[in-house]
Amino acid sequence: MIMELDEMKSLWEDMSEKLERQKLLTDKVVLEMTQKKYRTKLNYISIPETVGTIICFAGAAYALVNFDKLDTWYLVLCGVISVSFCVILPILSMRSISRMKKIDVNHNSYRESLKLYAKSKDAFVKVQKAGYYLGFIFSLAVLPVAGKLLRNKDLLLEAKLWIWYIPIAIAFHFLFSRWVFKHYTSATKGARSLLEELQD
Amino acid sequence: MDKQQTFIKTIREHEGIIYKITRIYFEDEEDQKDLYQEIVFQLWKSYDSFNSKSKWSTWMYRVALNTAISFLKKDQTKLKRSSSEQLENFKMEPFDPVMEERIAWLYRNIQELNVVEKGIILLYLEGRNYEEISNITGFSTTNIGTRISRIKQKLKNQIKTD
Repeated sequence: MIMELDEMKSLWEDMSEKLERQKLLTDKVVLEMTQKKYRTKLNYISIPETVGTIICFAGAAYALVNFDKLDTWYLVLCGVISVSFCVILPILSMRSISRMKKIDVNHNSYRESLKLYAKSKDAFVKVQKAGYYLGFIFSLAVLPVAGKLLRNKDLLLEAKLWIWYIPIAIAFHFLFSRWVFKHYTSATKGARSLLEELQD
Repeated sequence: MDKQQTFIKTIREHEGIIYKITRIYFEDEEDQKDLYQEIVFQLWKSYDSFNSKSKWSTWMYRVALNTAISFLKKDQTKLKRSSSEQLENFKMEPFDPVMEERIAWLYRNIQELNVVEKGIILLYLEGRNYEEISNITGFSTTNIGTRISRIKQKLKNQIKTD
């Protein structure tokens, strides 16, 4: 099908005319759309992020309440790393998600909204990426903390455990890192190219 | 006529425009329906700040396009669907098969464009002049001209490879 933009425009006009004749909306339907209870609401909270945040905060709270049980300097260090990870990353992640709410649909121009969208997407990807890589350190730090708090055992002294745990943690991260890298690179590229496009 | 009635009347007069916007941004019918409702909701929410001195259509395009962008974030989020039963049946009737095929082809080609271009081409096809497009999008009129020529070229290339 060969068609120039002008032909597209005339086809668009034909379609518009036909659409105008099709009156599907009733007063009742429009009224429903204006009411929040019927609205298909874009809840700017992602389910995985929300569940993850609740788990992280609960874990951090538990660790903080029982922090005095971490009785060696290395357990305290592991505790600090684990709690920081569980508190800071979810906050950053939720913050980057909520930045999208800042689009003022009434006053922003299309260009401003797109800029905000691209920037928030870029920030979101950065936080996710940092979370993935720091997750490796977290996976090493959280085990001794959990061992001490839940079973009163200093797992760092159990060499056998680390012999299988560290290779499994490395293998897991290695296996996923390729996919993660590809996924985040394309997401970042998309956001950056949109920002470049808006620079013109 | 009270405020709500005036709003409802105006929306019903422009229902086709909102439909076209939803179809440009989303292929999936459920997504289109979601966006449609969100646009109407946002228009109603902002209705008080609509200055009757400015053109209703200019304001509506602005709110609708911005709402569409906020929906683009969907890939990072999960939607909670809570459509009313009335809206479940909300679907435009198909045109005759030939026209329908041409329109589907037209939308397919527009959907291939990037998000910046989608907004501009929509306004261009809607017959808005460069100044209005510039008002809605925030790009200068010269920039709009350049972008439209670029889109023309892009569409030509797309069509060639179709």
